[in-house]
Amino acid sequence: MKLEGGKISSSHLTFLMIGFMIGSSLIFIPGQTAGHDAWLAILAGLAEGLVFAVIYTTLAMRFAGKTLVQFNDIVYGPYLGKAISIAYLWYFFHLASLVLRSFGDFFTAIIFPETPMIVFIVLTALICATAVRNGLEVITRCGLILVVTMSLAVLTTTILLFKDMKLTNFLPVFDIPLKDFIKASHSAATFPFGETVAFLMVICFLENVKFAKSSAIKALIITGLLLVMASVRSIGVLGVTAPIHTYPSFQAVRLINIGNILTRLEIIVVGNLLAMGFLKISVLYYGTVLGTAQLLKLRSYLPLVLPIGAMLVSFSILQFDSVIENIFFTFEIYPYYVIPFQIGLPLLSLIIAIVRGLPKD
Amino acid sequence: MIALLIIAFIGIALFEIPDLIQRKRWRELLVFLVFLLFAFIVSLLQVLEIKLPNPVKGIEFLVKYLLSVVG
Repeated sequence: MKLEGGKISSSHLTFLMIGFMIGSSLIFIPGQTAGHDAWLAILAGLAEGLVFAVIYTTLAMRFAGKTLVQFNDIVYGPYLGKAISIAYLWYFFHLASLVLRSFGDFFTAIIFPETPMIVFIVLTALICATAVRNGLEVITRCGLILVVTMSLAVLTTTILLFKDMKLTNFLPVFDIPLKDFIKASHSAATFPFGETVAFLMVICFLENVKFAKSSAIKALIITGLLLVMASVRSIGVLGVTAPIHTYPSFQAVRLINIGNILTRLEIIVVGNLLAMGFLKISVLYYGTVLGTAQLLKLRSYLPLVLPIGAMLVSFSILQFDSVIENIFFTFEIYPYYVIPFQIGLPLLSLIIAIVRGLPKD
Repeated sequence: MIALLIIAFIGIALFEIPDLIQRKRWRELLVFLVFLLFAFIVSLLQVLEIKLPNPVKGIEFLVKYLLSVVG
């Protein structure tokens, strides 16, 4: 019994991956802890992220047509495999609730200060639930349109900010201790590049799995360039004050002023966040729901969508008391917390699969 | 707030259950009810402002402990 009838093409996968990785990183700049060298940290993180992507796609191509939950059973046996799958489902669930929470924090802090956060979280979760109920094809088609619009918006805002940028803000280049730089670039690799591990639930629906590797690498490089552009924009405009702001991208775009006519364009950043965050939550939500359905051997994943959505909403409210806790978790704890999910287990699975010659036909 | 919560969960139940019964998908129905009940209890406790254990605090503690061991 097949749970998902849809098929996606490799270019759709590329766009979906770009949207997924841009996700919430348009407001939290990855590698932010490196100060004005954040763009270097992103580039170093991209290199690390490419290694991850090669591991994931090699796994996905080896076990063609099988999702993470299915091939965990083959690699680790039925019992240990189930335990590892549950750990992964927890990770996807937690990541989705983190992104939802970032949404809520952003909207209550910046745009609608009087509205309770739960309103935004519930509404976003409802939209994502609709997308997940409609299946993977719907999410990927949304991705195509939204990602093209988003890239144009990032490009436009960067061009409009050229006149406010000071190149001296980037000097002195590489003026941080090596240890801090490695920490910042690892943080950039795990958020957002390594999060593509969630695509192990999606790549198996690719029409031609041979193109998985090239489309993933393309997606990572494009995302890296867009993020470098966004961080150059923020650092160039805001300079040393960039790390002070909770949301540097938003603050930078707010400063656009072309002859007092083109002003207050920051809503573009909000729109981008809304669109990309929707893609990210949908993919993670879809992965959680599909994985749970496969784990429990259900015939359809649809009945799980709304209960898991309700859990997502309640957990995203529960987990942090304030936006500061969220940022602390994202930059200080998250890079270490995800090491087993993003590097350890995929690498171990790949080694076991190669040594034991899996999958045996 | 509690009334809103109950209405929302009854809404979810009414949305899914008839179709599942009609197709005789008992396994799916059971899983659906277990998940929904869990979600309902957790959110009810949150609405009643009863402190729930926060897994994120546990993760933070674990990561800090491991980092201090590694050095």
